[in-house]
Amino acid sequence: MKTIYTFLFFLVVLTGNAQQIVSGTVLDEKSKPIVGANIFIDGTYDGTSSDENGNFKFTTTAKGNQILVISFLTYETLKAPIDVATCQDKSFKLKESVNTLDAVIVTAGTFDAGDKARVSVLKPLDIVTTAGAMGDIVSALQTLPGTQTVGEDGRLFVRGGEADETQTFVDGIRVAQPYGATTANVPTRGRFSPFLFSGMSFSTGGYSAEYGEALSSVLLLNTQDEAVEEKTDISLMTVGLGLANTQKWGNNSLSFNSAYINLAPYQKVFPQRADWNKPFQSLSGESVYRHSFTNGLFKLYAAFDASQFDINSESINNPDKIRVDLDNNNFYLNSSYKGNFGSQWQLFTGLSYGYSQNKIGIDSDNVANSEHSSHLKLKLKKSFSDRVKLSFGGDYFITKFDEEFKAYEGNTFNSGYDANIAAFFTEADIFFSKKFAVKLGARISNNDLLQETVIAPRASLAYKISKNGQFSFAYGSFTQAPRQDYLKYADYLDSEKAQHYILNYQYSKDRRTFRAEVYFKDYSDLVKYDTEATQFNSDFNNSGTGYARGLDVFWRDNKTIKNVEYWISYSYIDTQRNYKNFTAEVTPSFVANHSLSVVSKWWINKLKSQVSITNSFSTGRPFNNPNETQFMNGRTKGYNNLSLGWAYLMTQQKILYFSVSNVLGTANVFGYEYANSPNTDGVYNRRTIRPTADQFFFVGFFWTISENKKENQLDNL
Amino acid sequence: MTKIITTIALFVCSLLSAQTQFEQGMGRSLGLWGEGKAQEASDLMERISAAEKTNWLPNYYVALINTTEAFKPANKAKVAALLEKAQNAQDAATMISPNNPELMVMQAMIYTAMIVQDPMVNGMKYSPKVMELYTKARIIAPENPRVVFSKADFEMGGAQWTGADVKKLCEEIASSIPLFERFKPETPFHPNWGLERAQQSLKNCK
Repeated sequence: MKTIYTFLFFLVVLTGNAQQIVSGTVLDEKSKPIVGANIFIDGTYDGTSSDENGNFKFTTTAKGNQILVISFLTYETLKAPIDVATCQDKSFKLKESVNTLDAVIVTAGTFDAGDKARVSVLKPLDIVTTAGAMGDIVSALQTLPGTQTVGEDGRLFVRGGEADETQTFVDGIRVAQPYGATTANVPTRGRFSPFLFSGMSFSTGGYSAEYGEALSSVLLLNTQDEAVEEKTDISLMTVGLGLANTQKWGNNSLSFNSAYINLAPYQKVFPQRADWNKPFQSLSGESVYRHSFTNGLFKLYAAFDASQFDINSESINNPDKIRVDLDNNNFYLNSSYKGNFGSQWQLFTGLSYGYSQNKIGIDSDNVANSEHSSHLKLKLKKSFSDRVKLSFGGDYFITKFDEEFKAYEGNTFNSGYDANIAAFFTEADIFFSKKFAVKLGARISNNDLLQETVIAPRASLAYKISKNGQFSFAYGSFTQAPRQDYLKYADYLDSEKAQHYILNYQYSKDRRTFRAEVYFKDYSDLVKYDTEATQFNSDFNNSGTGYARGLDVFWRDNKTIKNVEYWISYSYIDTQRNYKNFTAEVTPSFVANHSLSVVSKWWINKLKSQVSITNSFSTGRPFNNPNETQFMNGRTKGYNNLSLGWAYLMTQQKILYFSVSNVLGTANVFGYEYANSPNTDGVYNRRTIRPTADQFFFVGFFWTISENKKENQLDNL
Repeated sequence: MTKIITTIALFVCSLLSAQTQFEQGMGRSLGLWGEGKAQEASDLMERISAAEKTNWLPNYYVALINTTEAFKPANKAKVAALLEKAQNAQDAATMISPNNPELMVMQAMIYTAMIVQDPMVNGMKYSPKVMELYTKARIIAPENPRVVFSKADFEMGGAQWTGADVKKLCEEIASSIPLFERFKPETPFHPNWGLERAQQSLKNCK
């Protein structure tokens, strides 16, 4: 009897756990049923999938308060607390995940490149393989709309803004001196090698409150978060040598990249228009150290470069050439930490130090200057949910500039300044739905040198109108302290200001992207002065004004033609400004009204080669002809440059690269330099400013030696 | 005494029934997958993983099923979502069982699917990672047939670009076949796939 009793008891325990029915319906935000959602009670085996009407029903032995989990691809997983006893015929709504590929993104003003970008217009490899870019990040960006090709300068000019209106950031921290040193009419290059960066974001306006001290544009470069493998890269080029190496151990990795560039042999073979005593040479090195913690990542980036050249510079005002002998040393250090803590908090902190030293001999006069600049930053970000994120933080910029001018057997003039800028910013990212997102922010900054405080609001929103198309709008107020040339003589100035209004349409589908953007930019408080060139006794003021408006169009297609990728950029700009020593509001000389770039890359499998063609065209640029009464009335002829590149994959690890710029040999004219005073016939003479050479040839051999290959070779032995 | 026996018996019974429930669930899910009902199989595995928080296997199968689905041309539009699901499950499994060669193979397969999805963008980024994972896995488990085969199979896929020695890769695939035959999974639910794929690949070698 006892046994039977015990046995019965078992049965009751095992089967008699009163079974409860849980049922309901799974719906989306529009109350349409979701078919095939996975529904279960957390921690049990009890669950089912929803049927074609979104209904579900299952039995469970669980009791009391439980967590009901409902998951479905591309939707946010719902965890609903329920009481099993009363959970019948309940309806549950799933929200579409805003982390999916087809969610709306704020795109106004911004071009993203790299692996984290969802709609990537440029890939890191594009920098290297775009014909004519010659491995220069800035040159590759000049194939995007909104930029100007200013061949005699080489820097980034964005939407009617001067080159120094663009700030460069590495891992969120400012780089005070992003370009190599140069002299008049010899183009410079960006200091950064594209190989150490995994992604970049280039904004032509309307950017986040996180970034300040930039009137026109920001270029954000991100170093690689992790080294993928140990390897060594060797490059042999007609213009120099390069060596790079990456090591990994434990949670650490270290990459370095060094280059020695010497243009002397090249210029022996291909004579230049410029008269060099000692062609450009430079020794540069960059390194990145990374250490990953369980919840964070520390990065240290350091770059050093020493360059020098000696040139006899022509000027219409001097019968003799002016000798410019320049030595530049530049050091840049950037360290940052990014980590997660607590519940959905993210911390970012970083600091940079940059030191630049120039020694310039101008005939017998000597100029020596040095700039110390630092940037400290702290940013916190809290994700309240996938849909609401708030970030806030502070910036501190320190700049100390000193210059000494020593005239031959004459006096010494000193100038310089110390500026500290403290800023706070905050920004909220809100997704109202998968289709509608808003970003609101503000930045307040105080400059102790200029004794001014400014508040800059920023706002952007994006709305998805169809499966593949969306509109974005951005507004922002931007300020920037006047440039070094002005501040060293005048600390009584105010910051220059600009307002941006941008409307963007983007359509992106299956490896094809179309974007069109119209913008209006209103400049105020631009610096003016009353002398031929800036000097210690110039009278400076902030009465300058200006505007820029235009249309930028971009089309990239990696699909239509097999093995061919191409993109087309077109920009139209109408801009005028009255700044510097201008006598009227006119279009400045670095602006061409129409620019068109076509870049294409064709992979030919049979030849294991990638052939690339880039054509850049822009209409003529204004120049001032003192022989005419109207200021800035001249126009140069149009500019055209057709470049070709050919990369041949000898093996996976050996690449031979050949490129030539301006294949057609177009005689491009950048502008004219006029004499300060008329000749005996009362005419101002002029000198044509042309590229230092019409064409540039480049041959390089790139060899990667990696662990994996080594292992294979070992196996072969 | 009876009480004690009853309690013990109860305890054993509940243990047994839990065991059975796991086996039943795994068996049913793998059965569903065999019938081509990938989503239902994945859903069931997901439910098992929610109940068996210390067992890496259900998460492993969520990753395996969704990655396998991602390779199918019919699912092209869903690839990103499938791989995200696979990656989340993979992360959960790795938390439970670190340094597991089967999970390294799984991670390598997810990366391979990403490469296949967009070779131009992901090829350069993930190929070295895949190779690193296989190399690591081979140090831990040189006799694991999936490690040996998947590594050779991956290199074979890239051979037309890398110029890798196809003959040598075929030899590696051939060497995996006796390993498959010798392989004894810990339980019937531990990974034991790959022999057919290896034989298929070997056929292509000839």
